[in-house]
Amino acid sequence: MAAWDLSVTVEELGPEAPPLKVSVTSDLHIGGVILKIVEKTQIKKDWSDHALWWEQKQQWLLRPSWTLEKYEIHADARLSLTPQHKPLRLGLPNGTTLRLQACFSRPVFQTVMGVCHLLNLRHPEELSLLRPMEVKKKKKDKEAEEEVVYDLTGLRTSSGPAHTLSNGMPMHFADSLQTEAVYKMLSVSLPAPAPETITKMPRPTSLMDKAQVHSRWLDSSRSLLQQGVQEHDRLLLRFKYYCFHDLDPKYDAVRLTQLYEQARWAILLEDVDCTEEEMMLFAALQYHIGKVSLSEPQPMTSCPAMDDLDSALQCLEVKMEAEESITADMLETMTVAPELQDYLKIFRPKRLTLKGYKQFWFAFNNTSISYYKSKEESLKEPIQQMNLKGCEVAPDVSVAGQKFCIRLLIPGAEGMNEVYLRCENELQYSRWMAACRLASKGKTLADSSFSSEVQNIQSFLAMQRTNPGANIAQTDDSINTYSLVSPRYHKKYKAKQLTPRILEAYQNVAQLPLTDALLRFLQIWQGLPDFGVSYFVVRFKGCRKDEVLGVTNNRLIRIDLSIGDVVKTWRYNTMRQWNVNWDIQQMAIEFNGNVNIAFSCVTATCKIVHEYIGGYIFMATRTKEQAEVLNQELFFKLTGGHEAI
Amino acid sequence: MDDIDAMFSDLLGEMDLLTQSLGVETLPPEPPSSSSKENNFSMGFADMNVESLNELEENDLDALMADLMADLNDTEEKLAAELGGQKEAEAPHPDLPPASHGLSFYPESSLSTPTSPERGPNTFSAPLADSPAPILSPPTLPQHAKLSMEEIEAQMKADKIKLALEKLKEAKVKKLVVKVVMHDGSSKTLMVDERQTVRDVLDNLFEKTHCDCNVDWSLSETNPELQLERGFEDHENLVDPLSAWTRDSENKVLFQERPDKYEVFKNPQNFYLWKKDKKTIKDMKDRDKELLVEENFCGTSIIVPDLEGVLYLREDGKKSWKQRLFLLRASGIYYVPKGKSKTSRDLVCFVQFDNVNVYYGKEFKNKYKAPTDFCFVLKHPQIQKESQYIKYLCCDDAWTMNLWVTGIRIAKYGKSLYENYKTSMKKAAITTAWTNRTAGTTSIPSTPSPTTKAKASGQANGHAPQPPAEPVAKVGNAPPPPPPMLPTQILPPPPPDPVLPPPPPPQATKKSPPATSVPRQLPSLPTSFPPLPTSMANLPPPPPSLSQDDSSESPPDFLPPPPPTLGFGPGAGSLPPPPPVSFLPPPPPDPAPPPRQSNIGAGAPPPPPPPPSASAGLQSTPSVRRTGPPPPKRTTPPLAAPGGGDFMSELAKAMAKKRGNQ
Repeated sequence: MAAWDLSVTVEELGPEAPPLKVSVTSDLHIGGVILKIVEKTQIKKDWSDHALWWEQKQQWLLRPSWTLEKYEIHADARLSLTPQHKPLRLGLPNGTTLRLQACFSRPVFQTVMGVCHLLNLRHPEELSLLRPMEVKKKKKDKEAEEEVVYDLTGLRTSSGPAHTLSNGMPMHFADSLQTEAVYKMLSVSLPAPAPETITKMPRPTSLMDKAQVHSRWLDSSRSLLQQGVQEHDRLLLRFKYYCFHDLDPKYDAVRLTQLYEQARWAILLEDVDCTEEEMMLFAALQYHIGKVSLSEPQPMTSCPAMDDLDSALQCLEVKMEAEESITADMLETMTVAPELQDYLKIFRPKRLTLKGYKQFWFAFNNTSISYYKSKEESLKEPIQQMNLKGCEVAPDVSVAGQKFCIRLLIPGAEGMNEVYLRCENELQYSRWMAACRLASKGKTLADSSFSSEVQNIQSFLAMQRTNPGANIAQTDDSINTYSLVSPRYHKKYKAKQLTPRILEAYQNVAQLPLTDALLRFLQIWQGLPDFGVSYFVVRFKGCRKDEVLGVTNNRLIRIDLSIGDVVKTWRYNTMRQWNVNWDIQQMAIEFNGNVNIAFSCVTATCKIVHEYIGGYIFMATRTKEQAEVLNQELFFKLTGGHEAI
Repeated sequence: MDDIDAMFSDLLGEMDLLTQSLGVETLPPEPPSSSSKENNFSMGFADMNVESLNELEENDLDALMADLMADLNDTEEKLAAELGGQKEAEAPHPDLPPASHGLSFYPESSLSTPTSPERGPNTFSAPLADSPAPILSPPTLPQHAKLSMEEIEAQMKADKIKLALEKLKEAKVKKLVVKVVMHDGSSKTLMVDERQTVRDVLDNLFEKTHCDCNVDWSLSETNPELQLERGFEDHENLVDPLSAWTRDSENKVLFQERPDKYEVFKNPQNFYLWKKDKKTIKDMKDRDKELLVEENFCGTSIIVPDLEGVLYLREDGKKSWKQRLFLLRASGIYYVPKGKSKTSRDLVCFVQFDNVNVYYGKEFKNKYKAPTDFCFVLKHPQIQKESQYIKYLCCDDAWTMNLWVTGIRIAKYGKSLYENYKTSMKKAAITTAWTNRTAGTTSIPSTPSPTTKAKASGQANGHAPQPPAEPVAKVGNAPPPPPPMLPTQILPPPPPDPVLPPPPPPQATKKSPPATSVPRQLPSLPTSFPPLPTSMANLPPPPPSLSQDDSSESPPDFLPPPPPTLGFGPGAGSLPPPPPVSFLPPPPPDPAPPPRQSNIGAGAPPPPPPPPSASAGLQSTPSVRRTGPPPPKRTTPPLAAPGGGDFMSELAKAMAKKRGNQ
């Protein structure tokens, strides 16, 4: 067989170097070719990650036993020998950017699996890679503002199940302090962003905008390089399919946190619409989560220095001391129920009465407030006793005006009785307010949450004091309320108007532990009517105008583009089959009862829509088994399109 | 002082051991003896406004008495058990306050002390006699503890004090005497303890009536003044809402079938696909319904049906009804303000569900000039009279009203609703199994008789509620004496053997936290004894008592079952967990049951065959729910571009696997 020259570019020789020429015959297999090239470069290094890339055909030559002939490679082919893993900048849901080694030769689905394995994210099938939005807006000094990049390129994972340390951190993060810091960043929600950061980010204003996002998903069945992604490019890692399988806080520290971050940004950037009440609850939860993640001692830091017994013992001792003090505290709160009695002013708004506060001696008893003419008479029958169980408590406070009122709506047989209690100062107010709140939930002052409730109220009062104009990110206790709500509410409310509203929502969540708070946030997010709908602009067969197709985890929704009304929904479980005509880029779906729909895609390629629907169907096939192996083959079959077969 | 402390801690340790031996570690611990006494002591006071006992008829009183006795006896038993095991749980209590400084804040502690004297009149339970004796023993131990590590002891003491406080807190349990109006208009009087859920009370009623125990049975409250009605949810505490009633309230508690209670789980499509055309809804296949329930109730968050529609709202103050476009979301009901779109950001919150309940309005057309009679109301449960804080809404038809009320319940109660339904289903499945089984057998035990008695009695009438201690005395000079006495005579057997009684309580507590429900059944048997023979002849259906057995609450009552299982090998093999549990109790038979058993035997042969039938019933019911193997989500793209020929089969396999695993 005749030998011919094959020209191969080798990156390691430098960008200027001419392509190497190796003499080959057509029956030489790829492995042999690589060997020849490597010999010719005379560079000694580990070449095991390298593979041949055929540029004209945009194809990897990954089967070493195939011959050149089988690949139909002739002398005109221009190949390059290049590593399969290259550094990639990956934008995470929490807004940070990681630099890591990603596989450029395997289908994106597997690349994502690799990345998720590295980051300790379970269920990688729910995530995918998204091209970032092109920043074409006036190129102001964006470049100057270099993003913070966490470098994980040095990190290598062992194949097989990731071994985790006792604190849930996978082994491979324990390499160095830097990587540990990265893991902390991954697994702990970030502090609230400065309000201006939120305002500066692009927000979708219409269905059209929301549909545009989904045109940027990468094709899961093709490799990064095939899709034109270059080394050091930036891609976004996002949860793509909104059905989060088997979310378990025990194993899913990173997953839960990143999911929360994605949800938080979806809310802040008005990607998912919610009502004002819902926004306040989201804000309260964000505040709470931020606060708890800052204060709670994170179990994330491993103790590599633990090898000698002394330090271990020391550690133990400290722990015991801490525990002791906790019990001591407990004992205190338990045995000495805080008493609460004082002179306060009361006012009951009634028709035809002049507004006037009268002073009485007030005493808190279990869940009731009693008041007396004076302290001296407090042993006699009270003038009135009000049971606060089930009542509504609202603040009526102005720090600037030194007005500290508690508005109580106390239910009675005849209706709700409105009562205002006026306190003299912040301290008094926060104690009475906390007591009222607990009582409304049927708890007494003896409840352990009393003191933390008092503190919460005080820190909220402090929030009111801080200058609302200052754009500061969340620090210890102080936080800008604008950081917690979407820009729409920046315009609608002044900061001091927002504070009491968030505080009101906050009282319902203030006692949640971190994980529960995260889960609650996700639950409310998932409960929103618009949750989990991915929009695509499509044109239905036989229609002249563009419409929107919403794809969710259980149904397809046809939506009017201009009004946003739902026209029709089809559920997957009534779906009989779907076909893609790749030539005319049209999808045809048949449902039970001879319902047929067909549409072509406008904003995204047909492949993306097809993959979305197939992906959701794949997600539905997953079982609850823990040890289930990801059925990649099925995924590719459901989402792949013609070239995947 | 030190001694007292030590004694106290020692005592608490003992109590701990005891409660553990009772098998109540994780669940709401059975209150220690002192507390259960306290129950008895306080019960009946709070109820005056709920139900004036003066209206109780004598028969009712009998039943009530039996209940009371049950509680007492139960207490005694427990007390006996504890005392027998450890020699003094009670006596040191008077010393509690000095031991821990904080205790004086708890009225309960001071309340619990008097319990010991209270014991006097009740001494019919034998073991009690031992109680005073052991007081001497504790002081000996303290020294040991004292000598060694003081710190640890202090710590332990702290823990124990905490424990004691918790227990004391629990001791203050409120009880109500509630008259429940049955579906046939008769009424029945029950005692309900603060911790009992509606589910517990329903179970209790199932035992006392001959109803079929299907999932639709519910308790509801009516408010004639406001013309409102609301079905209680099974997980709610019954006492809470009743406590809101006013003294002169004409409100009633009804025991009736309400098909709307769990309609959403039977026909989820009516709620979640209400926008679809009627035909698709009607033709919905069972497995599609299952899928819908699964989608909306089994995920990480509960999905609330997205309702929207024009409803009439009664304007505050004004007497007119105005139309508005309302939307239901998980966070509340919203309306679309004039000239705004119905996008989320423009919605105005009408009401959130934290503090309100949803009620059906009756005949509002007359009362409030509503456009239709299909009205529902949102109000704080405390509000009992007309008020501007009540929100009245009116729908075009019953269907819409049902949709909204159910939607609101889903939004308000979320997952609990589904849990309740599953529990009800289990209950119903077991019971039907029992009924089928026993329908042939002639008769049974004794429980039916009180039922009939009570039913026949119709209205109530009687005496003011009394502290439990009193009943005994009263009983003496009233006609009912025999019943109360009987139980005491029959019951003692268990207490004497301190080792035996413990087993049943744990069983019961595990199944149904409120322990009080347990005792009630025990005495119900004996009480009814005298009249039994006559009433039984024409009362074939024994299901209630059987169901009671099913619930595994009072194992000793029906000990005979074991043999049957043998005959039904296969069925038994597939028995789901519940029945076995109920039959496990048999072990304790030895001392306690024999007497009763013999009595029962006299009335009618014990029903041995139940278990198999239960399994049969269980099998059948689950099969309805669990089968439907063909995966609903199956898409069959035989021509699908992506797939090859075997692709479908693979998908089917995956789905089947998934199904199989669920």
